[in-house]
Amino acid sequence: MNAISPNPTQKYDLSFARWVRDNIDGGERMNMCMQCGVCSGSCPLSDQMDLGPRKIFQMVRAGMKEAVLKSNSFYQCVSCYNCVVRCPRQVPVKYILHGLGRLAVQEGYQPKSNVENARFADAFWWSVTTFGKTDERLVTAKYYFSGGLMNGIKLGLGNLKTALGMIKTKRMHLGAPHKAKNRGELKAILAKAVEIQARHEGEA
Amino acid sequence: MGKKFTFYPGCSSQGSGQHLDTSTRAVMAKLGYELEDIADWNCCGASVGELAAGHLPTAALSARNLAQAKEQGDQDVMTACAACYLNTHAVNEEIRDNEQTKNDLNEALGAAGKSYDGSLHVRHACEVLVNDVGMDAIKGAVSNSLSGLKVAGYVGCQTVRPFAGTERGGSYDEYDQPHFLDDFINATGAEAIDFENRTSCCGGSVSVMKPDQTLHLMHKILSEAQAKGADMIATPCPLCQTNVEMYQDKINKKYGTSFNIPVVFHTQLLAVAFGLDATKDAALNQNIIPADKLKAKAK
Repeated sequence: MNAISPNPTQKYDLSFARWVRDNIDGGERMNMCMQCGVCSGSCPLSDQMDLGPRKIFQMVRAGMKEAVLKSNSFYQCVSCYNCVVRCPRQVPVKYILHGLGRLAVQEGYQPKSNVENARFADAFWWSVTTFGKTDERLVTAKYYFSGGLMNGIKLGLGNLKTALGMIKTKRMHLGAPHKAKNRGELKAILAKAVEIQARHEGEA
Repeated sequence: MGKKFTFYPGCSSQGSGQHLDTSTRAVMAKLGYELEDIADWNCCGASVGELAAGHLPTAALSARNLAQAKEQGDQDVMTACAACYLNTHAVNEEIRDNEQTKNDLNEALGAAGKSYDGSLHVRHACEVLVNDVGMDAIKGAVSNSLSGLKVAGYVGCQTVRPFAGTERGGSYDEYDQPHFLDDFINATGAEAIDFENRTSCCGGSVSVMKPDQTLHLMHKILSEAQAKGADMIATPCPLCQTNVEMYQDKINKKYGTSFNIPVVFHTQLLAVAFGLDATKDAALNQNIIPADKLKAKAK
């Protein structure tokens, strides 16, 4: 005898999926996902993700905004682009994950103190906007201490030998940061880009 | 021969990846190419810019570099850094293909009186070596054979993904089992081992911020290189080189191994094989784990 299929009473809430489609870089292709799992299966760190990209995409479609944005998956991404080149439906998986990860931090679903990548990204962006370039020394130091003084000292000491090796081989210099010359120009361009981005987010 | 490129060195060229920059310049000069740096380049945004600032401000970084490159002429833009290539090429493609992004980025550039129309071509130095220089010319420039050396060609991720197989990326190789690096190695007279982990990820920037989560990835890469008797690993990517080299201590502690495998750039191999100076051109003094067997071959 055939089992009687259930009559679902809960309807899919598509508002979050629509928002992702319109606002997340690459989100317009997310509806091409056919749940094959090649992305999750190709990911070098999917075993450390609580969900993985395949599940995340279906949960976005199901309107499970909170469960999605509380996922740790976004912050394990190593940007290897295996998912991007292997997806048979050309879904730019990595880009969507990074966009969702930023949204999760922005909307407070992920406290920054818990997200190493967000603190690292902040240290990185500080260097880029201040000097126009990544100063590997200062980004690393700022990131180490973003998790607290003791954490910074612990990480610093744990990596002292590496730092000394880098200094000895002149891959880490000891003077002032290397800087782009026309930083005022760069700042004006970035400020405008931030303004345009906010304008688009307001339109959506 | 005699072609000129506008060159984007990228931030690692002044830090952890100086030996890639030095050896790339030396190798390209030897092959008859002129590199003119983008006059006042800035960072490309790497892998984490988007997480901090979002897509458009990150893309604006590359847009400024491209606008400056265009002011210096119509010649192709070349970079040797995997992440610089990926970001700069991707933004260039987006400006060509997406009218909205093109307008947005030009509005941002306009804040500094600049503009960019997407008309340049952004190329990875490895693709230039394959497509413009060609294997025959590379072999022809080898005056100092590296025969006897066994090298694991470790391509990594962003050098080939996602653009190596695309038309605008030069269609020079494939994503999973690319052979260009083995071809470079074999051209020097060294022997490229059959390296299955050639495009396995080293953990990228996640290895910089939380290596405990990625040491197993680098362990896998080093284990295969060692098991197959490689004297050294060669890679085109500055972050791969730094990660796989500098974490060997931590990996040895965690896994009870005793790795001490030199990790060099393909351009350091080429520089030595071209008979160039071991320090001034090949920058062999900048590898933390000294590549003694390569140094011994240097003229």
